[in-house]
Amino acid sequence: MEIKTIGVAGTLESSDIQIMISKGTNGVEIDLDSDVKKAYGDQINHVITETLNKYGIEDAKVKATDKGALDCVIKARTLAAAQRATETQDKPDLEVL
Amino acid sequence: MERVVDLHLTDNATRKKWQSFLEQLDLHNFSEREVESIDHTIGLIDEDGKLVATGSTSGNVLKYLGVCNKDAVQGQRFNQIVTALQQYLFSEKIFHFFVFTKKKYSQSFQHLNFRELAATDQAAFLESGMPGIDDYLESLPQDPSQKDKRIAAVVMNANPFTLGHRYLVETASKENDIVYVFVVKTDASLFSAHERIRLVKDGLSDLDNVCVVSSQDYQVSKATFPAYFLKSPDDLIKEQTAIDALVFKNWLAPKLNITSRYLGQEPFSKTTERYNESLIKILEPKIKVKVLNRLTEDDKIITATEVRKLIKNNDLAGIEELVPATTFNFIKVHLTELQTRIKKGKQINGN
Repeated sequence: MEIKTIGVAGTLESSDIQIMISKGTNGVEIDLDSDVKKAYGDQINHVITETLNKYGIEDAKVKATDKGALDCVIKARTLAAAQRATETQDKPDLEVL
Repeated sequence: MERVVDLHLTDNATRKKWQSFLEQLDLHNFSEREVESIDHTIGLIDEDGKLVATGSTSGNVLKYLGVCNKDAVQGQRFNQIVTALQQYLFSEKIFHFFVFTKKKYSQSFQHLNFRELAATDQAAFLESGMPGIDDYLESLPQDPSQKDKRIAAVVMNANPFTLGHRYLVETASKENDIVYVFVVKTDASLFSAHERIRLVKDGLSDLDNVCVVSSQDYQVSKATFPAYFLKSPDDLIKEQTAIDALVFKNWLAPKLNITSRYLGQEPFSKTTERYNESLIKILEPKIKVKVLNRLTEDDKIITATEVRKLIKNNDLAGIEELVPATTFNFIKVHLTELQTRIKKGKQINGN
């Protein structure tokens, strides 16, 4: 799926994660900021990458600001940001979750 | 529950409440021009209807952030207000933004994934969102053997491009292998950003070691150096010019291997003179700063300010002596349009 614009979802408040997605050329590149990066950084990156791949996005630049979000939240925010970036909000493909 | 509301500063009562709240938090610059530059203001209201946090945006810059942490979890209100400001910017399709703040608050912003681009003892300058400074630096053209070359830089607003600008770049071009000309992007001048960069490119097209690029938000922009566009007190100019110089030194110069920066000596504008002083103080000795005397025509110093005055006075013959043929042709063709812009209130005395 083609990324057409920049898409954002999520807030900077506790238990949430903010995901910003734009065009990339070199796989899914994630710039993650999280207080629990040491313990859960790999897991968070994995969830983001997997959600994007399932949605048909192979290349993207992602900026993620995590405030302690659970996996289900990360998935939902990533999907919402991906839909906005690909301008497909009107036909949500929730199967991805 | 605390809730986020829009604050309308045009309403006198709201404005008073907002200002006194920020004054309690030690913010004191409420000059009309500064406040007028605000696009949008939001506030956080507690259960009793009391204002406990606020923030504003002006273009892609966050301004007038103030948070009272009494009876609240540390950082919670700050995160809420920055989130709300971001949501507003996103809805305006602005995904890349800046904040110019006191040094002591830099850490709080970094905690929200802002990146510090420069800091002095007093102030800090940070960015967040996409595309960031890395993307900008990657987008600048480079020579394959950049590392072994002598490289210089010139930053100019060029409003419009004159023989003085030409002389500055020509000198740099003779003394170096490559010259980067950064043209200011902020649209606050008589000539639009698009017109300015085009005239710079056209006026330098015969020099093949010169590379003209946009300085985006990173050099002399409303984010790094708003005092260039708004009249401001001296101490503010000092902080901003220092930050602007540091962004150049920390990011642009190392990436492009720039070893010298060329400036025109400044006889008139106090703001630009302060800027030159800051550049010398911060860039030297790592980056050589060369200040060239201004080019003169019949003992009169050539400035873009003078050209703008002549446009207003309809003096084409006078303009022809001060600008290259490329700029002159553009002015000749667009004279009435430029004069209309001046009549409509475009300032021509500033920078």
